[in-house]
Amino acid sequence: MATSQAKGRAELHEPVPGRAWLIGAAAWFFPGAGHILQGKWGRAIVLAVAVWGCFLGGILMGGHLFSVGGSEQGFAALLQIPPTIANVGSGALYIFCWIMGVGFADDPQHAARATFEYGNTFLLVAGLLNYLAMLDAFDISAGRKS
Amino acid sequence: MRHFLVMTAFAFIASVVFGTVAKDSNKERLIYGLKVFAEFMIIGLALSWVLYFLPF
Repeated sequence: MATSQAKGRAELHEPVPGRAWLIGAAAWFFPGAGHILQGKWGRAIVLAVAVWGCFLGGILMGGHLFSVGGSEQGFAALLQIPPTIANVGSGALYIFCWIMGVGFADDPQHAARATFEYGNTFLLVAGLLNYLAMLDAFDISAGRKS
Repeated sequence: MRHFLVMTAFAFIASVVFGTVAKDSNKERLIYGLKVFAEFMIIGLALSWVLYFLPF
């Protein structure tokens, strides 16, 4: 018991190789890339298809991508931060949409679509799932899991 | 029907990712993924029936 606790503490203090941070960054930027770089093709394809599918599904359903620095002020601006963090998790997909101006429309006509809220949820969850995939790729690279 | 399909798609995608990152062997991943999928579906359906009977 004491030995396993000491081992756990030692693992926590073990320095994380710089490569793990790069892998983590790649995994965030391009869903699936973190596992591809480590030769885990099967897992990479499954995760990439899931995250990309979730994101594209959200866009097709008319979902809204959040960003900070819009027209909201005060507390309403603060409320934009958590969903923005979730959306940013999609990495390049979010940046591409931001550059192209896709998914950021916030007009009543857009919000009137029956699948608007579903789209929002899919877009948020795509980013959150990619954070999970990113942490998995980071842990594999750091030697914490196989 | 569309709502059910969207919920199923959501449960499928989330359970695939959960199953992939959570366990060590492929068998464990498959079992865990199926378990998470079933939980999403059962809890989603149960909640929808509860909300159906709420008057507001």
